[in-house]
Formats: sequence, structure tokens, C-alpha cells
Amino acid sequence: MASLVGVCAASHGPLLVREWDALAQGERQKLKSAFETLGQRIAAAQPDVLIVVSPDHWSNFFLDNVPAVCIGVGESNEGPPEPWMKAFPHREIPGHAAFALHLVSEVMTQGFEPSVSHRLKLDHGVCIPLWRMGLERLPRIVPLLVNSIEPPLPSLSRCLAWGRQLASAIRSFPHSLKVGVLATGGLSHSIGEPTMGAIYDDFDRETIRLFSSSEQQLISFLDKNLPTHGNGSQEVRNWLVAHGAAGARGFELVDYLPVPKVIVGCGFASWTIPA
Amino acid sequence: MTDYWLSKMFFDLQSPAAAAEYRADREKVLARYDLEPEVKQAILANDVFFLSKRTNPYLLRYFFFAVGMKDDEFVHRLRDG
Repeated sequence: MASLVGVCAASHGPLLVREWDALAQGERQKLKSAFETLGQRIAAAQPDVLIVVSPDHWSNFFLDNVPAVCIGVGESNEGPPEPWMKAFPHREIPGHAAFALHLVSEVMTQGFEPSVSHRLKLDHGVCIPLWRMGLERLPRIVPLLVNSIEPPLPSLSRCLAWGRQLASAIRSFPHSLKVGVLATGGLSHSIGEPTMGAIYDDFDRETIRLFSSSEQQLISFLDKNLPTHGNGSQEVRNWLVAHGAAGARGFELVDYLPVPKVIVGCGFASWTIPA
Repeated sequence: MTDYWLSKMFFDLQSPAAAAEYRADREKVLARYDLEPEVKQAILANDVFFLSKRTNPYLLRYFFFAVGMKDDEFVHRLRDG
């Protein structure tokens, strides 16, 4: 049977590539260290497959069809389409079709109905954390794209429930397979709206604190505060999927630093997986 | 209000080749989309504030990045009209 061997989360953002060399050395070093810490934890867990929970930044979907959740079930995925991601070293990223299709069929028996794609472009949301973590060997990637870009967005409680279903579906895969979950995005940032550039430090720290509190408190706080703390902050949905996958416990902050140069409150975390 | 064709143009111009074509001949590219006259005028005038009411903020930012507007100017135009 498959097993869940690790769950973690990391921020992403275009300026983590485009402005990387322009960051103050201390800031860059802290970011590098946080990404690499997660990379080391993933490497130590030796996952065969990494489910990467990320938004789609208008790379695959347009207004014609915006799925709330889409699972990549292809044998392979395309590397990032953004021109400034050209240096990312993987242009074809193997998936795991049999496992991904198993996830889809399992969650559908529980009333969760994702869309599927047999070939996704994995944009910076997926690839920046993978890149910055410095993984020597990239596991097979199963993308799980959660809409946090174009309203209406899936509810926060649904995202948490998605994580629970995901963990259950992973464990029911009838073959030996080690699976990790990486959530990407958040914490606070604001893109293309009048508050662009704002980082809500207090909001981020309270969100982080509440990941170690009850899920009701966490969801209640986010439901109330997300609408006024930057549209990019909506990506915390992906962290909720990770939190649900870990059984809503075992959260450990690796680091948090608000980085104005990359206009993101950068958060890094992992979860202890219940045996 | 979401303007489908405005959004579609911004979506398409994420491609570097399409963005380069737009920079070389804006009228030619604009003619491919069913844009209202005031929307077309706002695009030509870089009226970020007007356009922000009609499209997704990420697409808005991608478009103005693709056409070479610096973030500082983008934010200034977005806030102050």
C-alpha cells in the first residue's frame, strides 16, 4: 500500500526568480536556507511521487473553463511556460498517471469531483519551490491545482476536507509508493490590485499561529480576514489542503519572513505525519 | 464586471511572441478582439485604473508587465487613475 511520507508548504512568487540576485544577502540566505530545509526533509522522506498543490496562474485555464480543483493525471507534464522561468532545469516533468487516476476515482466516491487534465503546464507556482529546494532528483509530480485566482473560489473548509480525502486516497493505493504533499503559495501578498506590494505581517503571523490551533479557529479567522489582506493570500487554500492531509495537526513553522522586494510574506512549514 | 475579450487578449499576450507582436503593431492585435471602443481607448492610453474594473488583477498585471510598464508606474496608475 502507498504511504504518506511528508507534508510541507512553501511560498512562491515570480520575484523569487526575477529579483533573486537583487535581494539583500541576508534575506536571500534566509530564503535559501528555508527552501533547502524543506528540500532536505523531502529528500530524506524519499517520496516516489510528490503531489504539488498550487494555483494555476492563467497558464492552463481561462474564463472559458475555470475548475475549482484539477488533478493532473498525465504521464508527463510540461515545464513552466513563463519566459523568465527558462532556466528551470526541467522542461518535461514526469507524472504518475495510474496513481493520479486512483486519487480521482477514490475522492469521487466521497463526493469530491475534480476536473482532470492529461497534460498540464506546471507554472511558477509549482516550479519555483521545487527549484529553490535544490532537490537532486525530482520525484514524479502529480499536480493538484486549486483555484485561488478567479472567483468564485472553493471554500476554505472544502480545501481542508480535500486534504483529508487526499490522505485517505493516498493510503488506499494498492501498490508500494511513497507519497509527499507540497503546498505552494501564500502567505500574504497582493497582485494587480491597488494594495499591490502590501504584506500583512500581523495577518501572516496569526495565520501561522492558528495552524497549531483548532481548525475551526483557523477557518473562522481566514474566512473573516482573507478578503481584506491581499488577493494572493487566497493561496493559503493550498496550505489548508496540506493541513488536512496531515490530519490538521503536527504543523511546524520552518521560517517566515516578509520580503518587500518580492512582495510576498514568505512562509515555510512542514507537518509531522501521524503514524 | 468581467470583460471576456479584454481578458482574452491579456491572456493571449502572456506568450512572448504575441506580446512582441503587440508592441510592434498594437492596432493589428487589438483588431482581433471584440473590444468596446472605450476599452480599446483605455488600452491604448494605458489606463490601468479603468481596465482594472474589467478584468482579473493577475491578468492586468501580466499584461502591463509584458508591455514593459514598471511595477511602480503600474501601481501608481492603478491607485490614482
